[in-house]
Amino acid sequence: MINIKAKRKIENYISLTLSFLSATFGLFFLFWILGDLFINGFKYININLFIYDPVPPGIEGGGLKHAFLGHIIITFLGTVIGTPIGILAGIYFAEYGRSSRIARVARNIVDIMVSNPSIVIGAVVYALLVLPVGHFMGLAGGIALAILMIPVIVITTDEMLKLVPQQTREAAYALGAQPWQVSFQIVLKAAKVGVLTGVILGVARISGETAPLLFTSFNNNFTNLDPTKPMASLTVTVFQYAMGPYDEWHKQAWAASFLLTFFVLMASITARYIIQRKKHQ
Amino acid sequence: MSDIRMKVKNLKFYYTGEKLALKNINMPIYNKKVTALIGPSGCGKTTLLRCFNRMHDLYPGNRYEGEILLDGKNILDKNVDLMELRAKIGMVFQKPTPFPMSIFDNIAYGLRLQGIKKKGELQDRVEETLKNVALWEEVKDRLNVSAFSLSGGQQQRLCIARTIAVRPDVVLFDEPTSALDPISTAKIEELLVELKKNHTIVIVTHNMQQAARISDYTAFMYLGELIEFDLTDTVFTKPNKKLTEDYISGRFG
Amino acid sequence: MDKRENALKQSKSIESVLRIVLTSIGMFVGILLPIIIFLSLYRESSLAINHFGVWNFITSTDWDPVAGKFGGLAPLIGTLIATFLSTLVAAPISLGIAIFLVELSPNRLKPILSTAIELLAAIPSIIYGMWGLFVVAPLFGEKVEPWLKEKMGEFPVIGKLLEGSPTGIDVLTTSLVLSIMIIPFMSSVVKDAFNMVPPIMKESAYALGATKWEVIKQVMIPITVSSIAGGLILSVGRAIGETMAVTFLAGNVNQIPKSLLDPFTTITVTLANQFAEADTALYLSSLYFLTLILFVISFFVLYASKIMLLQLEKKWKV
Repeated sequence: MINIKAKRKIENYISLTLSFLSATFGLFFLFWILGDLFINGFKYININLFIYDPVPPGIEGGGLKHAFLGHIIITFLGTVIGTPIGILAGIYFAEYGRSSRIARVARNIVDIMVSNPSIVIGAVVYALLVLPVGHFMGLAGGIALAILMIPVIVITTDEMLKLVPQQTREAAYALGAQPWQVSFQIVLKAAKVGVLTGVILGVARISGETAPLLFTSFNNNFTNLDPTKPMASLTVTVFQYAMGPYDEWHKQAWAASFLLTFFVLMASITARYIIQRKKHQ
Repeated sequence: MSDIRMKVKNLKFYYTGEKLALKNINMPIYNKKVTALIGPSGCGKTTLLRCFNRMHDLYPGNRYEGEILLDGKNILDKNVDLMELRAKIGMVFQKPTPFPMSIFDNIAYGLRLQGIKKKGELQDRVEETLKNVALWEEVKDRLNVSAFSLSGGQQQRLCIARTIAVRPDVVLFDEPTSALDPISTAKIEELLVELKKNHTIVIVTHNMQQAARISDYTAFMYLGELIEFDLTDTVFTKPNKKLTEDYISGRFG
Repeated sequence: MDKRENALKQSKSIESVLRIVLTSIGMFVGILLPIIIFLSLYRESSLAINHFGVWNFITSTDWDPVAGKFGGLAPLIGTLIATFLSTLVAAPISLGIAIFLVELSPNRLKPILSTAIELLAAIPSIIYGMWGLFVVAPLFGEKVEPWLKEKMGEFPVIGKLLEGSPTGIDVLTTSLVLSIMIIPFMSSVVKDAFNMVPPIMKESAYALGATKWEVIKQVMIPITVSSIAGGLILSVGRAIGETMAVTFLAGNVNQIPKSLLDPFTTITVTLANQFAEADTALYLSSLYFLTLILFVISFFVLYASKIMLLQLEKKWKV
């Protein structure tokens, strides 16, 4: 009898210790990665990084102005294309498609598409846009990112709109409002912070993407503001620089990675915080 | 009066954040009797019940003061082994809580925790227990199907069986019929009366008729205090306190 | 009176237009877009499919752009191996993390720790790749792998898995980094599922004298088993499609790895490295065929995950 109890207690203790160690394992790697990024990246951040284009490889100096600007433009294009489509589709699923079978199927597919390999999207945009036009271009990168961003926005919009109490809708209907007026004038307004959060999450997701840009916006060694031409981005440049043989490249890759991660994590922490608060209300 | 099984002495209970929920409770629990805890919502009756098997210890920040004696030993003592205590003091909840396993395994669950592994012994105990809760005839042909397949009333009797299978000294019931229809409720009440032949029972109930029907002793609580404790007949026919009388006669609550 | 009727008429016509617009956008996003993706990948790969045949392509290890011979077996096996190994590491750890977050962590730390674990999923995959290349690969190539070889190189089965020269650019480091990336997906799904288990179920087990671990093992895990499976499959899906981290660490060598220390390739590695330089139609089409295979596999894996996850929602929708 005593033996069995002792055995159960030991098993309990061992299992819970393992669980604790798992959490430690996860946090250990998080801090290891962030620590390395900080140590290796922070010291190479300087003003030159933002105001100069690259110099030929092997020579000291130069910057990543082309990549910063290109990255902002491509991300902006992706956001501008993806946001309205994502929000409208989210409204459809939350407000119009509730009782429709096919809408439910479509909504589940959106859940699947959010985890779809991003490199596949890059390949598709390459086939549909880059090949017919004949050359890489920033806009193609923006479109690829938009396709990646849409499911993120759809899901958040849908969830946030569904948090709006049904009574709010009923109250509007009771005043004789049409469904679109309820959706756009009442529900969307009530949930606007949550919907915006979805956009932040989407931006956080796409601004760290590399794979879909590799064969859409490609790369460019110079600053280019024309989205119909190949365009550099931070992530593709980091890829190129980190794989390359030059020390100077590695330093700049660390610096760019640090800045990029910092931005992405801030955006994603902010979004998570807002969503948590909304859900607990 | 019969012998005392448990004794609550100067019990105070604080929820997280030092919210005083029980104010100096003193009462006995008599052996092989049914003691009902009644009172309006928020009076502390469930809180008191959950002190008896230290359920409050599952959530950090809760604190007891005073003593609850079981056979003379203070169960609120820091050194008390909670696994052992809870095997000795069983509990049945407001809603049926069958575990995600077969009917047989549900009953055998607590027995296996006690280290009973032999198939024959388990089978005997499961059968005996199911007969005790009058469920044997209904389920003997499908002991291996999921417990979720039972009706609500059957599930609750299964949970009672699961609790008494380990032969606890005391069984705590927390509004066991609040989620059931009248027919299932009647069956559970019958069962409770049957069970007190062998068990000491404490039951929290919202339903005063239920307390009157099945209990031997009744404790009336109000705002965390024990207002009156006496034989059920006395409490319901000639209560000592005005507050008790008001509540019994339905003037508030 | 006229005014009111006009307003009503107007809002009704807006309604009928908007309904069509919203429905089309919803259907475009949820139905049409995946179909377009599939069809365009299929169209682009048809040359390779016709030229090699499906079966020959996926059973051949040829990858010779000069001779125009292509087969997908090596990247396909590479993807399966990396996915299998990383899931093997990530699954128990994710489960442990979920248990810790729900049952062990002090209440005040819960949101902070959950966010921290989920941040592992927010770090861009290229960062994992670069960090893996500059930090993990040298550490493993110079220290860990030689040490492993020395300690375990003579063992019968494990020794075989550790053959080859330790470089840090191999199956072992790729799978390790990949496992860290997929942990948050499974752990957050399982955590949410654990949180949906009604407290009264747990209390019932505690009331019988069960220990915390017994409550987890015998009540919480059985109740949430479909979500745990769903989370597991979700991380498998994520591992299959992960590109950048793997590209830095796999070595892009078109061979089926025989040991944990061999460089190898996966579908995504092959695509990332070769897509922009594919100079013949057949070469490009073969890469598209790989993309199509990747899309179809991950779609069905993720679909399976979604189905599992819907089970619990159905069961506990009260």
